[in-house]
Amino acid sequence: MSTSIKNCIVTFSGLAVATLVAFLFSHFVPENAGNLSLIYIFALITIVRFTDGYLPGMVASVIAVICVNYLFTYPYFELNFTLSGYPVTFLCMFGVTLLTSTMTANMKEQARTIAEKDKLLSETEKEKMRANLLRAVSHDLRTPLTGIIGASSSYLENSALLPEEEKIAIITHIHEDANWLLNMVENLLAVTRIHDRSSSVRKTDESVEEIVSAAIMRLKKRLPEAAVNVAVPDELLIIPMDAILIEQVLINLLENAIVHSQSREPILCYVDADSTDVTFHVKDYGIGIDPDRLENIFDGNSYIGNKESDSNKGMGIGLSICKTILTAHGGTINAKNHARGAEFYFTLPKEGGTQ
Amino acid sequence: MNLKHEILLIEDERNICNFITTTLRTQDYKVTSAGSAANGLSLAASGCPDLILLDLGLPDMDGIDVIRNIREWSNLPIIVISARTQEKEKVEALDAGADDYITKPFGTSELMARIRTALRRSTLNGTLAAPAGIRYEAKDLVIDYDRHIVTVNGAIVHFTQIEYKILTFLARNAGKVITYDTLITHVWGPFADSNNRILRVNMANIRRKMELNPADPQYIFTEIGIGYRMIDNENS
Repeated sequence: MSTSIKNCIVTFSGLAVATLVAFLFSHFVPENAGNLSLIYIFALITIVRFTDGYLPGMVASVIAVICVNYLFTYPYFELNFTLSGYPVTFLCMFGVTLLTSTMTANMKEQARTIAEKDKLLSETEKEKMRANLLRAVSHDLRTPLTGIIGASSSYLENSALLPEEEKIAIITHIHEDANWLLNMVENLLAVTRIHDRSSSVRKTDESVEEIVSAAIMRLKKRLPEAAVNVAVPDELLIIPMDAILIEQVLINLLENAIVHSQSREPILCYVDADSTDVTFHVKDYGIGIDPDRLENIFDGNSYIGNKESDSNKGMGIGLSICKTILTAHGGTINAKNHARGAEFYFTLPKEGGTQ
Repeated sequence: MNLKHEILLIEDERNICNFITTTLRTQDYKVTSAGSAANGLSLAASGCPDLILLDLGLPDMDGIDVIRNIREWSNLPIIVISARTQEKEKVEALDAGADDYITKPFGTSELMARIRTALRRSTLNGTLAAPAGIRYEAKDLVIDYDRHIVTVNGAIVHFTQIEYKILTFLARNAGKVITYDTLITHVWGPFADSNNRILRVNMANIRRKMELNPADPQYIFTEIGIGYRMIDNENS
């Protein structure tokens, strides 16, 4: 109902405007009557574009032909279909309308299917990501939980028999696993800060050196023996970001470097900037990354089917979360091997909508 | 000090409550605990504790309201216990009058350090305004409030008026988190733009003048999304 009302309004106001323009035109430039049809054809195309279905275009073209005939051709204010060449004008106008309305109808239909396809595609993509994440999470959570449950139950059942140092070893183990779980949960919580629909983040202007120092502080709280050398540019960099999320990315990368590099040499964390972007680097001097894994290391499932998956807990998830965070920021994250170890680096744009 | 400090713990989670109580008792504090805000408020009024540990997620009342309620009649130190990602909540709690916060999960050493700082600050305030000539000292940094002189490793460091104002405000509140808004209001007045970019710029300058490495500070720490915390004064 409402579409047909809209169609009527568009059709008749389009024709009215065209008539008005044609009237003014013929008033000021009376000798060039040929252009009048063009004005009407223009109006017809516009009407077809902004209405649905074929009917409005057809009706409009009939009215337009009558208008031209009645108002602007001699004899004025009379219908005269015997004018030489008139059927041609009529057929042309009708043809143009028919053609354009078919074309626009097709166009609209195509746009709709494409939009639907896109939506479907992005939904399956999201579904896939979610499933991957869930699979990775449950896999990664089970390992430390098994450790905690096993260790604590062996303590409870055998506490009378266990020597003191073994008790301490068991508790230390539980403590480590629990801390690891905490890390995982914090990562998952970080992801919930990314808006589901737009997969964007709330950015505020933050000082780069403060983010770096906060990340190092939290890392040292968790791993007191961690050795990190830090450097930031002398110029103060203030860029838009979600500080908590970027801090999380830095902590993940630093912790990865410490846990997986198998080296005691201090990790290097530094920041550099060019005119458009700021890049954070985390460089370790250890065993580097297996070239086979390098390609899809941020996918979150790179460890599935990996022979050392259990000894490697959590790396997959942490990195895939880093990637999600950077993507939501409009930034990029990459990994590469350098001569003496691995380097992870991520880039944030200097500009980009602060709220 | 042979007088035990009394701490009131308001926390609804039994396990956490037990763990904190046990730790505090081994550290020679006297602990009372309340499982709800209503219970906690009446214990606070009747028991006159020296310090309150308050969990923000209580079942019967918003933690912020508990702080406001206590602040109506008492200045006793309140340390808020809260989860990590809720910076907004922490800022609100601090602005409502909480003295400090600690983020779940925390280790015992961290909790003890916060409690000691808060108790020390409250006894300092209790002895009426600290003596005028008091100095701030931590590691290699010395601030002489009387003479307006700041030295690092014995060498004088020059600050602008604003920078000095920021630095001394943090130093006088050493050990405590100062929210961006509090700091801005103190330095630029109540009608200042709450955009903290200018504060960040000043802080960057301060750090470049007195820290060896501004990305790995020794004296002033950033609490992301909340504010700044200066290292404890060793001279008190």
